[in-house]
Amino acid sequence: MNRLQWIKLSVITLCALSSIIFYQSVKAQEPVQLPTHAPVSSDGKNMVVQLCDGETNMEVKGVKPGERLSPDQAQIVSNQLMAQWLAKQPKEVTEAWMKENLIVKNDQKANAQTTSSNEQSAQDQPIDFTGRDYQMWKKELEQEVSYGDQIFHSDSLLGSTNGVACAMCHPHAANTHPETYPKFQIQLRRVALLRDMINWCIENPSRGAKLHPDDPKMRALEAYIMAQRKGTVMEPGKH
Amino acid sequence: MRRKRSNLIGSKSKLLVTKLSTFVFVIGLAVIVSFISINSEATPLTTQEFKPQIPLGLPVDLWNELIPPDNPMTASKIALGEKLFFDKRLSVDRTVSCATCHDPATALADINAVGVGIENKKGARNSPTVLNTMFNELQFWDGRAPTLEEQAKLPLINPIEMGMPDHKAVVARVQEIPEYQKEFVSIFGKEGVTIDTIAKAIASFERTQLSGNSPFDRFIGGDKTAIPEAAKRGWELFNGKARCISCHTFNKSSPFFSDFKFHDIGVAAKDQNFSSLARRARQLLAADPKRATQILEELALSPGFSELGRYLVTKQPKDIGAFKTSMLRDIELTAPYMHNGSEKTLMDVVVFYNKGGEINPNLDGGMRPLKLTDPEIADLVELLKTFTSDESRRKAQNLKPQTRAPFPQ
Amino acid sequence: MIPLKWEKRLQEYLQNRELWIKELYKAGSFWEGRRKFLKMAAMAAGVAATNSLLPHSFQLVDIVNAAPQGQQPFTFAYISDSHLYEKTLNERFVRQLERAVADINALDPQPDFVLYGGDLAQLAQPGELKLGAQILKQVRAPIRMMVGEHDWFLDLGDLWKELFGKPYYSFDHKGVHFITLMSVNEKDFWTAKNLSPMQRMQIVSGLDDGRQSSFEVGEEEREWLARDLANVSKTTPIVVFSHSPLYKLYKPWNFWTDDAEQVQALLKPFQTVTVIHGHTHQVLSNRIDNIHFHGMLSTAWPWPYAPQGLPKLTMQMNRPDPFNQTEGLGDGIIDVLGNGRVNKRYDLWNRNPLFVSAQYLDSNGASDNPSKTALPSY
Repeated sequence: MNRLQWIKLSVITLCALSSIIFYQSVKAQEPVQLPTHAPVSSDGKNMVVQLCDGETNMEVKGVKPGERLSPDQAQIVSNQLMAQWLAKQPKEVTEAWMKENLIVKNDQKANAQTTSSNEQSAQDQPIDFTGRDYQMWKKELEQEVSYGDQIFHSDSLLGSTNGVACAMCHPHAANTHPETYPKFQIQLRRVALLRDMINWCIENPSRGAKLHPDDPKMRALEAYIMAQRKGTVMEPGKH
Repeated sequence: MRRKRSNLIGSKSKLLVTKLSTFVFVIGLAVIVSFISINSEATPLTTQEFKPQIPLGLPVDLWNELIPPDNPMTASKIALGEKLFFDKRLSVDRTVSCATCHDPATALADINAVGVGIENKKGARNSPTVLNTMFNELQFWDGRAPTLEEQAKLPLINPIEMGMPDHKAVVARVQEIPEYQKEFVSIFGKEGVTIDTIAKAIASFERTQLSGNSPFDRFIGGDKTAIPEAAKRGWELFNGKARCISCHTFNKSSPFFSDFKFHDIGVAAKDQNFSSLARRARQLLAADPKRATQILEELALSPGFSELGRYLVTKQPKDIGAFKTSMLRDIELTAPYMHNGSEKTLMDVVVFYNKGGEINPNLDGGMRPLKLTDPEIADLVELLKTFTSDESRRKAQNLKPQTRAPFPQ
Repeated sequence: MIPLKWEKRLQEYLQNRELWIKELYKAGSFWEGRRKFLKMAAMAAGVAATNSLLPHSFQLVDIVNAAPQGQQPFTFAYISDSHLYEKTLNERFVRQLERAVADINALDPQPDFVLYGGDLAQLAQPGELKLGAQILKQVRAPIRMMVGEHDWFLDLGDLWKELFGKPYYSFDHKGVHFITLMSVNEKDFWTAKNLSPMQRMQIVSGLDDGRQSSFEVGEEEREWLARDLANVSKTTPIVVFSHSPLYKLYKPWNFWTDDAEQVQALLKPFQTVTVIHGHTHQVLSNRIDNIHFHGMLSTAWPWPYAPQGLPKLTMQMNRPDPFNQTEGLGDGIIDVLGNGRVNKRYDLWNRNPLFVSAQYLDSNGASDNPSKTALPSY
């Protein structure tokens, strides 16, 4: 091997080595991306709506990407998506989902019937709270829950860009299971709170901008969802 | 869906429905007519409807709930109440009216530190505003009256306020005036002039004295430009570092800046030997059970004993030196402040809280030094100024203060 | 002037006082009297003026001592569980102990003595214990000291004993035999782990720190107790002070005494036994056979009720408001009745006082029930 060959070889080796090092360093600098669900590619003519499982999706014929679904259209789309998802689930999951829907409805009936009385009996240790206080607490909570109810049922209040509202997949907040949080959310690769999943749904099926944890809308949504599940046993970590 | 349902109803049943509904309508009409006639027999002239004007920010439902069933609002009763409220003839020497200490020129409050009654006699407590007092759970700084009606009866016979010897004398004084007698009969029927009807009329007038529609109400209503930036910072402090909100409750259901509860913040506890004072007060209150109300009234307005606050009413040690949380609407116009008028300006009040109140054995557990900076104190004061209603401000600018000149005979 | 008129009314009242008191005697026991009077008072439009109605500092006349039988009744007061840090670190706890001292000093008539129920300090630091001793010097009535685990486990009681004397002792007062126990001994968990005194103290100071042992009176002290009781007649009323509850309530928080059964067995032959304990920072009542148990309030912070094992006879106090730093705290008095049983009064600072009577415990909750909690713990 002559001198030139030596030089050539060493230059090539150097280049190869440095490119490897460069690649590695670039790779290291890349921020760890949490998984997102990119819109499923289609021919670009029709809108594609994706369910929050990140797999189930459907093309809406006649609606261009970026356009807004009408409420009726959005409901039909979400019904079909949920039906697709349910069809993929084992029988137990499907049955549990149906059952939960039923329970929510019954609970609401029962809640409407019970009237809470906070009257203090004469023998009780006196407390500083009067009927006015109880009334105020109740009204304030009802306002919060009812605001959440509105957002939950309105794609525009939620900030959805495609007309999909929460209640289309979660009538009466069914299958939101707030009692199972916090839990390790496999898709998010970290422990998630209910609010993380609300934001996930806003960003994915509804294609909106996520809410700050302190946003009044986030607080109201949490209030509504939890109020629907009143009486449920807490089971953090349940999958 | 609707169309389907109506199709399901056959023509026969349609006819039946029509017949039935006509029947129900006729019966209903008869019931309503008879109800009106029965009603108008019982209370001849009180059926004039009164439509309240609830200013922005106040809860309409609560206003309605708090009208006592036995004292419905009518326009004529309110007008009578207003006349009584401003009438100096209700005091023993005809020099002092309710409005003397609850002056519309200062948002129905008083510029004096403590109430000044007949013959310039001084009480021991600052006259609070009448505005929005219908929303109070209990009346007076110590909550010794449960309703506006009961409250209205007491200054009349307090020896250092309006000085009437008793309620009988008040009734006699009103009966002397022919126009009043006619009005009372036309409004209250057979009952005529009694201490209860006098109180009812005054209370009805007071239930129209509302304060809302302030820059702050517009801010809460969504107009983010309604209050200055300093006040917005003040609102953050109010809800956070300055801890105001823990007693000065504010929300849409109860937008009055008060929890309507009683707290010892140390205003009263200065230089007092409270336990022996409390013991003496208890002995005096027990001395003559028949005159308990009167004695309480006198103690409440006498310097020293007055400082025991809520204790005079409940006789529970936890209430020594405790006074009702003041509402904050129109606060800029109602100086001086605290139950005894001991703080002259809003700045003084915030500085008082900033040092954690005055330490005393019964100090409320929520009080502690706040470590607010001077700019933060200024921001809070700016916030408090946005609680003034447009109407109160207009009146403060245009009305002359009440005078003490004798009422023309 | 008005005050003169009042002076006159006061004189009238004082003259009539005898009548009022007689009325109450007729009504039967002190506790029934209180009830009846409450009714009377309600009828008389909120007028109230008997000793029994008067909460702590404001007693006018002493009718508690209407002795139906046995020895002379008397009253003692208590302050407990102040958990002092040095003033520079936590002024609030210091102020709260001072408040309790002021309360007790304002009692009129003064109690025969004041029991300090243990846990004067938080970490048994010299600065803490000495500060506590200095504040307690201001108590007007004689004071009886008891030790708590927070006072002990830094130097195993050296400084506490130097400041306050023996950790367990007995004394007689107006016919009642009083015993103060040191009930917070723990089996050695520190030597094997080679822990420093401060590490040991910190472990013990954590209520839910499972690395420590359970409280016990211990063999040596039980032997002393047996000897002490040998000279006491079985009809003599006995009142025992112990920092930990002398029964087994909830082990994970040491609401517990490991040799409770053995101690109870020593007390069993006696007709009338009452245990007053600290540590639990709450209204707590129990009865096991002949023994009545009462907890004491803390001046520092309230504990939540234990999730299990709460005695059936305990009427919980309303749960404290976390936004109010003196909620659920206080001090109180104990009226020793003629029969040697005690009525316990919890003087809660932001609330009306709470009464738990001997009759309530004697009747196993059938009569004279304390007022029910309106806000039970969650």
